[in-house]
Parts: sequence; C-alpha cells; structure tokens
Amino acid sequence: MKKIEINPITRLEGHGKIAIFLDDNGNVDDAFFQTVEFRGFEKFLQGMPMEEVPRTVSTVCGVCRGVHFTASMKASDGVFGVTPPPAGRKLRELFFNAHYVEDHSVILYALGFPDFVVGPEANPAERNVVGLINAVGAATGKEVLRRRSLAVKIFEMLGGKPNHPVAAIPGGWSKQLTEEERKQIEAWSEELVGLGELTLKVFDDVVLQNDTYMQLVTGDMYKVEVGYMGTVDDQDRITYYDGTQKVIDSQGAVVGTFKGKEYLDFISERVQPWTYLKFPYQKKLGAWKGIVEGPGTNIYSVGPLARMNVVKSMDTPKAQEHFEKFHATFGARPVHHILAYHWARAIELLNAAEKCLELSRDPEITSKETWNKPTSCPGEGVGIIEAPRGTLIHHYLTDGKGIVTDANLIVATTHNNAPINLAVKKAAKHFIKNGNVSQGMLNYVEMAFRPYDLCLACATHTVTGGQSPLEVEIFDSNGGLYKTLKNF
Amino acid sequence: MKKCVVIGIGNPYLQDDRAGVVVVEQLEQGGLACQTEVVYTVGFEVMDKVRGYERAIIVDACKLGNEPGSILDVSVDDIFTTHALVNSHAITLGTTLKTGYVCFPEEMPAEIRILLIEVKEIKEFTQQMSSEVERAVAEVVARIRGMVAAMT
Repeated sequence: MKKIEINPITRLEGHGKIAIFLDDNGNVDDAFFQTVEFRGFEKFLQGMPMEEVPRTVSTVCGVCRGVHFTASMKASDGVFGVTPPPAGRKLRELFFNAHYVEDHSVILYALGFPDFVVGPEANPAERNVVGLINAVGAATGKEVLRRRSLAVKIFEMLGGKPNHPVAAIPGGWSKQLTEEERKQIEAWSEELVGLGELTLKVFDDVVLQNDTYMQLVTGDMYKVEVGYMGTVDDQDRITYYDGTQKVIDSQGAVVGTFKGKEYLDFISERVQPWTYLKFPYQKKLGAWKGIVEGPGTNIYSVGPLARMNVVKSMDTPKAQEHFEKFHATFGARPVHHILAYHWARAIELLNAAEKCLELSRDPEITSKETWNKPTSCPGEGVGIIEAPRGTLIHHYLTDGKGIVTDANLIVATTHNNAPINLAVKKAAKHFIKNGNVSQGMLNYVEMAFRPYDLCLACATHTVTGGQSPLEVEIFDSNGGLYKTLKNF
Repeated sequence: MKKCVVIGIGNPYLQDDRAGVVVVEQLEQGGLACQTEVVYTVGFEVMDKVRGYERAIIVDACKLGNEPGSILDVSVDDIFTTHALVNSHAITLGTTLKTGYVCFPEEMPAEIRILLIEVKEIKEFTQQMSSEVERAVAEVVARIRGMVAAMT
C-alpha cells in the first residue's frame, strides 16, 4: 500500500494533514484528515471571571475573533441571568453581521475563488489572492478590499478594537451609538451591499457560466450526503446571531429543533485515536455509525450550505432572489454538493450586508438603553450562534461569583470533521487513479476541504520561513519513501 | 499622508508570540511621537492600518530557526513568498503588504521596516515571555525610539 501525505495543508488555520492510502494498484483505499495540534482552550478558561471570557476567547483565532466573542458573550447572559435590552441586542447583531461580511469576503477571495478564477490546476504559486488580483485586475481587487475594510471599520467602531473586540458585557453592549456614527455605518453598509452584489456577479461570471466548473460543482466527486444543522428564526428564515437550532437528516427530514442546553440531547461527540478533533454526530438518529454517508447516516454538516438546506428562506430581499436561484439550480433539497458552499457563502455575504443596512436604519439602534445590569449569578450559560463557518456552541459553568469551573466549546470545524473526511476520500478516489498523482490532482483533493474553510484554532501567526507550505510524500507498500512533491 | 505608524502584532496570551504587542505597550507607556497600533493577526487588517502613512514600522514574532531573541530587520520583499499560505486564516504578513502595494500603491507607505523577534516558546497559553525575548523586546523598543526620532 502506498501512502500520500499532504502536510501541512495549504490555506487553512492551524496544523493538519491529509493522509491518502493507495492500494497496490495505485488507487485510493482510504483517506483521512488529521488534526495534529491541540489547543486546550477549555482548560485554559477554568478559573477565569466569566465577564473576561469574551475578550479572552476572541484570541482563539485571529480570524474568527468575533464569533467566539459573540458566543461567549451570549453565554455570559445566561451565567448572570440577564438578557440585553433591544438596542443592546441590535448593536450586537450589527456588529456580528459586519463581521460576517468581512470574514466571508476574505474566505471567498483568498480561499474559494482562486481555485476557480486562477484555475484548479494552476501553479500553487499563482493560485492565491495575489494571483486572483492579477487575474481579475487590480481595480476590482482594490474595490473588494476597500469595501471589505468598511465592514472592519464597523466591527471596530462597535467592538472597540479592530481585531479583538471589548464591548461585550453580560446583559448588553458597552458601546452606545451616536447619530453621527449611525449615519456613517448606514453609508458604509450601502457599500457593503454593493460588495455582496459584486461578489455574486464574480461567482456567476466565473463559475456559473463555466460548464467545466459547473460539472465540478454539480458532479458526484464533490457530493457528500449527510445531515445538516443550522439556526432559524421564528419564521424558519436564516439567522446568525440568535434563533432556534434546526437539525435535518440526509434526506431533508426534520430530526428536531433545540435551544441552549438542549444541544446535549441532539449532539454526541466520538473520539478517534488518530486525531485531536472529535467527531460529533446526531444522537437522535442512534449511536455512532461511523464515517458514512447516505440514508441512515447520523453525521452532519454545518456552515453556509447547511444553512441553505435547513432554512425556508432568507430574511432580506436581494439575498432571497439568489437563494431561489441557488435551489432552482440544484433542484432537490437538501443540496449535498459541497462546492456549493462557496455560492452559499456569497449569498450570505449579501444577506449580512443587507442586515447591516437594515439595522443601521433602525431608530432604536441609537437608544442609550444598551445594558440590563445583572443582579444574580445562576452560574450556567450556553451561547449558540451561526458563525460564518457554522454553528458554534459555547457552554460554561461557573461558581456563585461567576468564576468559570467548566467550559465546553464545539466549533464549526469539529461539527464538519466527519464530512470533511468523507469529502477528501471521495475526491481522492475520483482523481487519483493507478498511482497517477499530479500536482493538479492533489489540489482537486484539497478543494474538497476548502469549502468548509477549516479553522483548527491556531492563533499563532508568527512569520515562518515559508519553506514547506505543501509537501506530499508518497510511500510504497513497505512504508518506504517513494516520491516527494512540493509546491515550492 | 500621516507621518508614521508603529504596529505590534501578536497573541497576548501565547508566550513569546506576544512580543510585538508588548513592544507597542512599552512604547505607549513611555510616549512616542508616532501613531501606534496593535493587531492580533496578519490579515488584511494590517494593510488597512498602514494605508495613509508615509512610513510604517511593524514588529512581529518569527520562527525562522535563529537563536531565540534574535532581531531581524527586513523589508516587505524579504518576507513575501508567492506560494505563501494565502487563506482566510493563515494569510502571511508579506502577502498582506504586497497585496496593499498592488491595490493601493498611492496609499501605502514609501517605507515599511519590519522588525522580527525570534521566539523560543509559543505553544503554551501564558503571558510570560522567555527571558531571551524579553531582552529582545527592550532592544527593539530602544531601536524604534531611535528610528522614530530620526523620522521626526
């Protein structure tokens, strides 16, 4: 048996690797996505005052800082038994939707689009954001980056800092919005809506109008039939900040809905000895059945595609038009084609921009009543949000003074762990035949996990030598090194 | 264009990775005739922070195999690699700044100095840096004061 390793995986957060095992004929026997890094944040948080947790967990990741901040902030409401007043909640939502815009735009332009715009078999040295800008033109690149920076300005204005916000307080939001600031955010939000429309046009021009790429998007090699989980509002529409979690099986049947601590009735986590990342599964559908797809499976996905599958509709008009086009293109629901994650992400970018605009025009947003002061400490809180990459759960127990005694974090990449393994194996089987392993083929395999935009929670960003972003090692059936491929 | 900005990059909870943040904190405590910023990531936020300045000084931790506490003074071209880990998470500092020069040439600083401090430990969550990096931080603080004084 030959073994192919892609280590470290290019273009994802943290350290992981893909191991592909070939049989004696050079065809794929099995494939695994492994996480070889352990962060241990849940232990680190024990002993910390709950009100300090949002500021701390925002450093779990330099990119996902707004999501851990928001989920733990919501959990802190529960710990102190208080809910924010309407203005406090709306400021949180505005902040969170701005974060969506800047995060989704980076994912799409730095991670998803290079595979299509520059080409899946292009030199890895060109298949990146600089290559993308060279392909689409500096003027377009400039416009995208300029508009994206406006979302960061909203994030900074409301959160207090550009990267790691500080405005969370149990029961509210410490930053009150002035009328002048509201007008500024409204003007910026109009430009963000334009960014969403531009992004969907790029996707339409580059992907939807390209028959070859559409074969990839709608083909079986990037199709993973699992269940889905996402959050809906009281009208079964998409929502990111707060709502009810809805779970469907691989055929689209509703398994159930839950809120808060009830997640423990729906989700179990399986530990495997070969990776630090756990494998959540739908416990309502029975005990762990393994990493399998199709009818009867109890593994599930979260994130943009999952949200498109569980919701009845979007909650803004422009995004709704694209939502309808999305489902008309694929026909049957749920959509299992994972490259559609990128399309779903672009629709959500527009949706979040529209929400920013809507919230910035809400007269209540400038109310000075942004905080309800806590008067007790029940000592338990669960914060569940739809992070850009999928459902994020923060669950805390504290003592009577609000000091954390236990914490449980289930992040999007963990929910998606089993589907990612399935996706990698499926793509590998399709593209690697008879031992023929080209650089382009390996990128096709990597394309199977990029839609999930993995975050393995490595906040480290130190400048490294940049000497081994992608290394492929092929081992023969005796375990000896057969061939090494590098992208540098 | 504004005159100059000093940007410290790092995770304040991750051992020696916090070096850039501490440098800026110490510069702010002593007063500096220059704008200062702290960011915890090397994404496009860094590009946004340097746009509009004539000169920029960036301090970050590095892991290049040198002696812990070593200080490197490099340029954007020195750390830009075309094959870089360009993504929504691990986009590199070099790629961020190079993208800025491609898209916003008229707004980017004429000069960017990047001071890198070689780390010793970055695996544990602690706010205690190694002694080697602590000494390097003091050296970088002094060096930046001199650089800023020469600019103004």
